[in-house]
Amino acid sequence: MKERMPNSSALMKQEFLKKWIKGLQIYSSFKKEMTIFERKKAIKLSADVAIASTRNASTHWSRALMSDVSTDDANHAAKIVVAQISGRKVEKYSSSKGLMMTCSNKILRRSRVASRCRRTRGVGTSVKARSIARKVVKNRTRVLKSLVPGGQEMDGVCLIKETLDYIASLRVQVDVMRHLAAAAERLDPPQRSIL
Amino acid sequence: MSGRRSRQSSGSCSSSRITDDQIIELVSKLHQLLPEIRNTTRRSNKASADKVLQETCNYIRNLHKEMDDLSARLSQLLSTVDTDSPEAAIIRTLI
Repeated sequence: MKERMPNSSALMKQEFLKKWIKGLQIYSSFKKEMTIFERKKAIKLSADVAIASTRNASTHWSRALMSDVSTDDANHAAKIVVAQISGRKVEKYSSSKGLMMTCSNKILRRSRVASRCRRTRGVGTSVKARSIARKVVKNRTRVLKSLVPGGQEMDGVCLIKETLDYIASLRVQVDVMRHLAAAAERLDPPQRSIL
Repeated sequence: MSGRRSRQSSGSCSSSRITDDQIIELVSKLHQLLPEIRNTTRRSNKASADKVLQETCNYIRNLHKEMDDLSARLSQLLSTVDTDSPEAAIIRTLI
């Protein structure tokens, strides 16, 4: 997985913005009049697709996200958005499960032996506390997996790496949207709907 | 690090591509990425791993929520999701 340089975040923001706007344009070409709810969905979905595509399918989470959007049969516009923005046909997300299972087995095996070793040393480390701690970490990991797209199929190192990348991308996404909202407020008289 | 002793574990190619050090390094990167937890001192690996995971989940949830709120706000502010190109051009320079 590529390491991201800090100064490329501005480039990422620009790329995200461009793609996001492109997605919105596709949406509006589908439907001229949208309800506020539909507009919100369009904005959100375009944003997700745009941010995922900035990773160029190099991360699991971005692939999973694109796949989720494009396999949602109810949403035709979404599929077009994905195809246009990513520039390629998005297949159903299937991770290289074999590779990742090997990943996780090694880590599990190592941690099991490590925990056995830990037990023999150290005064005052109760075995029970350790196993509780392990359970808690396991539960938290499960929650994390549910938050990161495609997380269910990752384990150990993969999950953490993907999380790092995902968080960084989310921050870009939120940052740009925040700027846009602030700018829109300044440029236009607020057009609040009565809805 | 207790991890050192566990090298014996994987009978298979101990490619150690995934070393405990790597895991710790990644966890600490996560640690740095999270604003709230930066000043917390690490007492033990296990405790901080749990805390880091918890803060990570909270952080991601917050980002999702903020995304949702911003989408709602934007859907009100932008009367159409059409080009708005003068706006878009201006915004591009603001970022």
